Amino acid sequence: MCGIDTPVPSLSLTHMRPHDNRAWFLVLPALALLGLVGALPLLAVINYGFHDIFSLQDVYWVGVQWFTDILQSDRFLASLGRSLLFSALALVVQVPLGIGIALLLLGYGKRAVWGLMLVALPLVVPWNMIPMFWLGLIDAKTGILGPGLAAIGFDWKFTGWHTWVLILVVDTWHWLGLVVVLAYAGLSAIPPAYMQAAAIDGASRWSAFRFIQLPKIAGALAIVFLLRFVDSFMIYTEAFAINAGGPSDATRFLTLELGEEIKGFSYGQAAARATLYFLIVLAVVWAFVAATREREG
Amino acid sequence: MRHLGILALAGFILLPLVQAILLSFMATLPTPAQGSIGLMNYRGVLEDPELRAAMVNSLVYVVLNVVLCITFGLPAAYALARYRFTGDRHFLLVILVFRVTPPVVLSLPIFILFSQFGLVNSPVGIALVHCLFNLPVAVWVLESFIRAVPREFDETAYLDGHSGPSFFFRHLIPQIAPGIGVAAFFCFIFSWVEVVFARILTVTGGKPITMAIQAMFSFQTDIGKVMAMTCLSLVPGVAMIWFVRNHLARGFTLRA
Repeated sequence: MCGIDTPVPSLSLTHMRPHDNRAWFLVLPALALLGLVGALPLLAVINYGFHDIFSLQDVYWVGVQWFTDILQSDRFLASLGRSLLFSALALVVQVPLGIGIALLLLGYGKRAVWGLMLVALPLVVPWNMIPMFWLGLIDAKTGILGPGLAAIGFDWKFTGWHTWVLILVVDTWHWLGLVVVLAYAGLSAIPPAYMQAAAIDGASRWSAFRFIQLPKIAGALAIVFLLRFVDSFMIYTEAFAINAGGPSDATRFLTLELGEEIKGFSYGQAAARATLYFLIVLAVVWAFVAATREREG
Repeated sequence: MRHLGILALAGFILLPLVQAILLSFMATLPTPAQGSIGLMNYRGVLEDPELRAAMVNSLVYVVLNVVLCITFGLPAAYALARYRFTGDRHFLLVILVFRVTPPVVLSLPIFILFSQFGLVNSPVGIALVHCLFNLPVAVWVLESFIRAVPREFDETAYLDGHSGPSFFFRHLIPQIAPGIGVAAFFCFIFSWVEVVFARILTVTGGKPITMAIQAMFSFQTDIGKVMAMTCLSLVPGVAMIWFVRNHLARGFTLRA
């Protein structure tokens, strides 16, 4: 490891960057591309949300009707609750677990790379096959874990909280690697001198983590939190393939409702719902950015 | 203790993969019982012209997406790493918001917009729309790598008479080659396996691997063949992980 490969702590070079608005010319192409694939569709979806859409030629203004309908429906609130709970569980399980594994790997020095490659494997599995892998694994007749799970009475088809456990395990399997890789990146960028100084001061393992490592990886963890929040909050592929929202709506998340409306051609309603979801995500992003700017001063 | 933890982790990560690989070597019709074992599923996949086309489609759109993200992301990353400018933090906020916008929110208008441009059923459409979440990642990764290169490096290149494109191609890109690899890796993993946009943009043709697999599920699914196709689809991903293994530990952080 030498030269550019050495993780470089982000030195505060900010004051050395000159102010030059010509830099916008370098940023504009990226912004234009995002405008085309992001901003334009976003404006369209917000606009659709205020209309009743029978076909592209047959569109009627309905004002905020869809929004009030959705916000007043008990189903929406119940799904919102379930999605928020699922996100909270995913974050509570995956973030500490990922940091723990990253800390473990850190102790292995150069060999840690094998661990990183291992946890990155699920990230390259096609999303729609991830639930299939797990359903194959726990299949009562032919799965490796199937007979054992059936013997202890694990019944993901008809017991609500068992389905929850399964979806949470599958989601953790899928995304743990991202948490580990980003946490490890943050941790390995901390100059060894910091930890040596802590050791000389007689700091415990926990306080060294709490007061040196954790603050240093706050930026990496913030992006992990955000990515894991939106992806778990908007979980669809896994949840739908595993039990399609069942048993009796126990795993009916927000996206499953949106999917039903799109499949049912209620485009206006679906767009209003999509706008609401976007606003929720936006609120969380805003909170995170505000917190990050506060921390960085 | 430490080793036990790693062992448990390896078991957790590998078990579903082992199951899938086992199934991919079994004859699974009519049921995945004690069928015969062999390469017939892989032969079946490779002899199927639609599945072969799906692999080509996937490779085309992923490569195109990575190229787009690096080409558009590199100048922006350079600007952010080297200059302050009016609205730079707003730009960072905008790319963050687009990175976390759920694809399902935009799927409907994307379909309508892209069908007007004739980008439905083509890998080009998927490559473009995946820039929504990959371009921000490319900017973050590249920016951190460019930041790690001292400013004097740029100044020396300018003194040597290199500016504009020749600076980027002759000096900067070779210097941050690992960064380009890491950016490509993250773009690859978010794009190769994505299903929401891939589904909405391929109605009748141009199906990538994910959607071709989806189409293999029917009343009587040959799960062995499905798993064989899936295992083949892992090969480029595993190769990608291997190529960037020594640079994986760079990641990206929240820039706001």
